[in-house]
Amino acid sequence: MKRSIMLAIAIFLLLTLPAFAGAPLDTVQLNVNKGLDVLRDPKLKADSAKEAKKEKLRLIYNNLFDDVEMGKRTLSRNWNSLNTAQRQEFVKLFRQVLEKAYVDRILDYKDEKIVFDKESMVSDTQAEVYTRVLTSSNKEIPISYRTIKKDGSWRVYDVVIENVSLVLNYRTQFNDILSKNNPEHLLETLRQKVKGQ
Amino acid sequence: MKAFRFYVLLLAFVVAGCAHRPDSTVSAAPAMASLPVTQEAAPAPSPVQKEPPARSAPAIAAASKADEFGDITEFDDIGKGGEGGMAEKPEIADPLEPFNRAMYHFNDKLYFWFLKPVAQGYGKVVPKPARVSVDNFFTNLAFPIRFANCLLQADFGGAAKELGRFTVNTVWGVGGFLDPASSEEIDLAKQDRDFGQTLGTYGIGQGFYITWPVFGPSSPRDTVGLVGDSFLRPFTYVSPWYVGTGARAYGMVNDTSLSIGDYEALQGAAIDPYVAIRDAYVQYRLKKIQLKGSNPPPEKTGVPKP
Repeated sequence: MKRSIMLAIAIFLLLTLPAFAGAPLDTVQLNVNKGLDVLRDPKLKADSAKEAKKEKLRLIYNNLFDDVEMGKRTLSRNWNSLNTAQRQEFVKLFRQVLEKAYVDRILDYKDEKIVFDKESMVSDTQAEVYTRVLTSSNKEIPISYRTIKKDGSWRVYDVVIENVSLVLNYRTQFNDILSKNNPEHLLETLRQKVKGQ
Repeated sequence: MKAFRFYVLLLAFVVAGCAHRPDSTVSAAPAMASLPVTQEAAPAPSPVQKEPPARSAPAIAAASKADEFGDITEFDDIGKGGEGGMAEKPEIADPLEPFNRAMYHFNDKLYFWFLKPVAQGYGKVVPKPARVSVDNFFTNLAFPIRFANCLLQADFGGAAKELGRFTVNTVWGVGGFLDPASSEEIDLAKQDRDFGQTLGTYGIGQGFYITWPVFGPSSPRDTVGLVGDSFLRPFTYVSPWYVGTGARAYGMVNDTSLSIGDYEALQGAAIDPYVAIRDAYVQYRLKKIQLKGSNPPPEKTGVPKP
């Protein structure tokens, strides 16, 4: 009897502990490190492996980021003026814009070191994870990840680099466009952006 | 996501312009002025109040399952960009937009047609460690600006660190070409301070947005700061004047040679680069003022490795 109670307590602790033990930071760290592993993988060094690398990074990105949350926060109030189909397309396009803009820079990554400093809980379901990137030329770039808990797992919805929030930066741009144009115009602009260059 | 630092680096480049090269991060962009910084004036209720977890967690969870793409009903959190401490909305009035856009294009051409090719040529001739040293040298020369602004912000600890850094780097860092003060053993971090930030901490608003040719994004307050800081810049007192100006231009080319690709990345990522730069500038300046004292994790230039 005593034993089974102990066992029950032990199981209870095992089940619950991870939920409280700095889950946001762990999630970010785990996925970012996975990403670094892919970038440094000697097997994927060849130029021909670029697509394979990108595909692996996409999977990690899916685990770590919450596209829809990011899209909502980026559009903020304007989200409601898009219909459902437009919202879905927007989220897809926004993601493609980001991928296109940053994937090559990320693939260049190799010598940088990342330090995971701390997390700060904004509320029970939101936390900010602070990290620093140390570059090969000895510069330090503070990057923090804003995360939200949904269905028990933490996902990133904003990245803040050197104090500039990605979501806020795009929100300003989209607000500017949507204050003069309809949502279709914004989507068309994004389509062109994804296609072009 | 590395690319994001470009926002800032670029910013630094644009903001700092020639005049600014020495303090290579954005410390340069001093002046901000006092217009409507569109502040959510009222001390925002604490994040906890704003978003009682009990209410929002289920709400969000439900939304994500049932209808991920449904309407947003809770704006408090989203409107703030999701960070509890962010009471002020990083926005700025832009009554001069046509002029500013013209200046933005001018600076853009200046970069692509002049600065970048010159910096690339220079970068081919001079090895990177030497360029990092030059950068250190200019940074060290701008010491009076950081020191004075620490004092003006009543941050005596910061002032002491700056004084220590200046002494260490000037004496043991071969006149400032090396940066031993940033090493792990000494660990005196650079305090990025400028007069525009000082004015901001006194409660003076940034005002409206201005893009200066060459100097880049600014505001009336930061322009005043820029001018104020220039009195503490040794090159200001060099005669004849073109020697000082030339030295600053050289510092700018040197700095650009260390950050080629940053501006391009920023531009590539933006839907409207002009608005993106304006927003990054405002966010960066606002945060810098909020964080004074607790220096945003200081940039380390470090000792160039042979």
